[in-house]
Amino acid sequence: MSASVLDVKNVQKIYGKKGESQSHALKGVSLTIEKGEFVGIMGPSGSGKTTLLNVISTLDRPTEGLIEIAGTNITQMKQNQLADFRSQKLGFIFQDFNLLENLTVYENIALPLSLQGVSSKEIVTKVNRVAQTLGIEEILQKYPVQISGGQKQRAAAARALVHDPAILLADEPTGALDSKNAKSLLETMTDLNENHQVSIMMVTHDAFSASYCKRILFIQDGKLYTEIHRTGDRQPFFKQILDVLAELGASHDVH
Amino acid sequence: MLFKLSLSSMRKMMKDYLVLLVGLVISISIFYMFQTLALNSDFTKGNSVISSIQIVFNVGAFLLAFITVFYIFYANSFLLSLRRKELGMYMVLGAKKGKISQILFWETLMMGIASLCIGSIVGIILSSGIGKLLMNLLEISPEGYYPFYVPALWMTWGFFLVLFLITSTINAIRLARATELDLIRAEQQNDTMKRRGIGTIVVALIGVLLVAVGYYALIEIMVLQVLGLIIGAGATTIGTYLIFISLLPVFVQALKKNQQLNDRQLNAFTFAQLRFRVNNLTKVLGTVAMLIALGVGAMAGGLAFQQNVDLISSAQHVYDITLHDPAEEDIQALKNMNVIEQNTYRYKMDDKGYYYVKDDLLAHPPLISTNSIENYSSENKPKRVAEDLPHDGYIMYASQDDRTNLEEVPAEWDQAISTEFMISYEMLKGRTVQIVDRATYEGITGSEHQVLIAQVDDYLNYKPALKAMDQRQKQWIQSSLENEEREVYLSTKYSTYEAVYAFTSGTMFMGFFLGIAFLAMMASCLMFKILSGATRDKDRYMMLRKIGVRQSLLIGSIYKELFLVFVFPALVGLVHVLVGMQMFSFILLDPYVNIWVPTVIFLAIYAIYYYITVRLYQGIVLPKEA
Repeated sequence: MSASVLDVKNVQKIYGKKGESQSHALKGVSLTIEKGEFVGIMGPSGSGKTTLLNVISTLDRPTEGLIEIAGTNITQMKQNQLADFRSQKLGFIFQDFNLLENLTVYENIALPLSLQGVSSKEIVTKVNRVAQTLGIEEILQKYPVQISGGQKQRAAAARALVHDPAILLADEPTGALDSKNAKSLLETMTDLNENHQVSIMMVTHDAFSASYCKRILFIQDGKLYTEIHRTGDRQPFFKQILDVLAELGASHDVH
Repeated sequence: MLFKLSLSSMRKMMKDYLVLLVGLVISISIFYMFQTLALNSDFTKGNSVISSIQIVFNVGAFLLAFITVFYIFYANSFLLSLRRKELGMYMVLGAKKGKISQILFWETLMMGIASLCIGSIVGIILSSGIGKLLMNLLEISPEGYYPFYVPALWMTWGFFLVLFLITSTINAIRLARATELDLIRAEQQNDTMKRRGIGTIVVALIGVLLVAVGYYALIEIMVLQVLGLIIGAGATTIGTYLIFISLLPVFVQALKKNQQLNDRQLNAFTFAQLRFRVNNLTKVLGTVAMLIALGVGAMAGGLAFQQNVDLISSAQHVYDITLHDPAEEDIQALKNMNVIEQNTYRYKMDDKGYYYVKDDLLAHPPLISTNSIENYSSENKPKRVAEDLPHDGYIMYASQDDRTNLEEVPAEWDQAISTEFMISYEMLKGRTVQIVDRATYEGITGSEHQVLIAQVDDYLNYKPALKAMDQRQKQWIQSSLENEEREVYLSTKYSTYEAVYAFTSGTMFMGFFLGIAFLAMMASCLMFKILSGATRDKDRYMMLRKIGVRQSLLIGSIYKELFLVFVFPALVGLVHVLVGMQMFSFILLDPYVNIWVPTVIFLAIYAIYYYITVRLYQGIVLPKEA
């Protein structure tokens, strides 16, 4: 696979106005994600990984640098273009699910399609298909308050995928789940990645979750620290991750 | 310590408290303003206009009190919702429940007292402003009306203090009954979707039935009298609430069931928000509908009375001018008018009566009105008296003693003479009116006079001239009364108009006063409720933004949602008004005349206010543009 879905070049993000106390959240980050990759972003609290996710997901603008998603430069877009871009090209999974609790699971999943003016008939087909993939057909007519955390996250994943986005952005997707549900969700994501060619970028601080990725980028103090690739099984990769994290912690102490 | 804490957090939530305070101040100042009118006996008794509609006043005062009670209870539960989370946190940290309840009790009470102080001042300012302005506009003498009126102040303070005490206690009790976790999680609580089964349908049916009964009572008010007013007001009010509690949520649910519609753009979300609103706002929406009905109804009623003045005077009199022995000035004034028809009849007058010549009358038969107040229609055009007078002589206004062998004057001639010729009760005083043949007339020894009746294009164009004519007629009658010195009341078309106008101005004053008061209450009521729930909605709009909904779509959704929230009570309220106006049909010729004026006034106020709410709501829920 050669076509890149995400190209981040020398992105900087500075919070605060000039002349006032500024904080440098990203200090020139560059990365590329190829189509069909499952990439993890890791780093300690305050390393800038959430900021990175926010600028990639177009929710925040980088102060400097270039971000291209599926060949489109998003740094120069207007608000409405960005909104449309989000709704068409991006899929989101958040730690706290971000389901609209006054809509049924079905309506939540259908929302991105409704926004694009897809016909009611087509919506039914697509929602049912994605629900089947994620194993949540049974709960489509329920409200978020009536289902479990694991089911909520699956519903959120279904909403993120229903419109075939270029890339799925996951922000600590297992953060609010118990280990069983977390495992099940990660397996589903792996399945999506391997069997449905969904490109995924997942931000997490949990080594176990990260071990499902194929490649992990480590960020520290707003800069790319290192990256590691998974070559074999998850188990050794997990150890490798822990090693890097330990290294990070050590360098942290030195600072 | 806790008091200090709660004070500082109140300061932080200043914006929310401001909304609450403004709402309370509005309701208090309106209540005060009403009391300055109602309690001020110098004003109500001294002003014949106001005193004649005392019952309308009392009904208004009762309704205002009723709605205020409801409003205050509601506002204080809003206060509780503002403080729940924080007070729960204190409890988790180990503060005693009793202490917390106490804090809330005092907070509620202090809030009430603060708003009472401000409300009284605003009320006094409003009374001297709006009250005087309306009186000026309607030419009511403000004699005896004081914007600063101590009994009204007492009444307001007493009424609201009792209310605040009760609501403070209720708040404290409610807090005491909740657990710590309930309080902390208050904001995360989801909208519970109540299953709506057979119970809802029964409630809806009862609601519709009650409204029907209320409508019937209002329409049949002629028969039911005061009972009709009480049943009508009561049944319609309760029925309205029941309809909003049961029928409306079902309707919104049906809207949502329509898959095609629901799947379009943000509709699923808009309808879900709407469903949440109609479920949560049932009582508020019911209240708003009633306030709209009362507000518009009061204005429409007042205006209808005012507009009916011309109809009432025109229904009774065909001729705009009746002049006995017209003076030179009268003739001159007539020359400046556009006279359509003018007849002059001679008559003789002695101690016993007035004598008209039969041939004169038959030669120029006058017009008479075919309308009456009881049975009015603009189709009923005036008609010319067509009855023949075959006998030698006729008599009317005759007592038993006077009744000679003369015939009774036929009905149409009777009407013509009594309404068009004889313009004052004082003229009759024991005299009869006779129609006699020429020979008899010649033989009568009394003084000879003439009466001129005239119809002009539009008598309202000549008000000053007509007033002067009536003045001269009064003097003329006065002088013919010989030894008696008493006030003479005329019943010419213009005098009728003037008298009814004074009365109806009072009604209109009341109508507009009440109307504006109710509309203002409604305004703060709905705004209050919508804005108090807005922080909860913030997260939802944030989520929608994240998944890529255009700002314009979000704004559109807000407009649509709030529009529907606003439209339901407006529709119900306006239908109430349309039916409710029937209750005036027994005193008004046409209760619906110019009904569009208050409707348009209401719609204008409502639309502006809808726009403001949307804007305020947007400011709270929509994420700021990056």
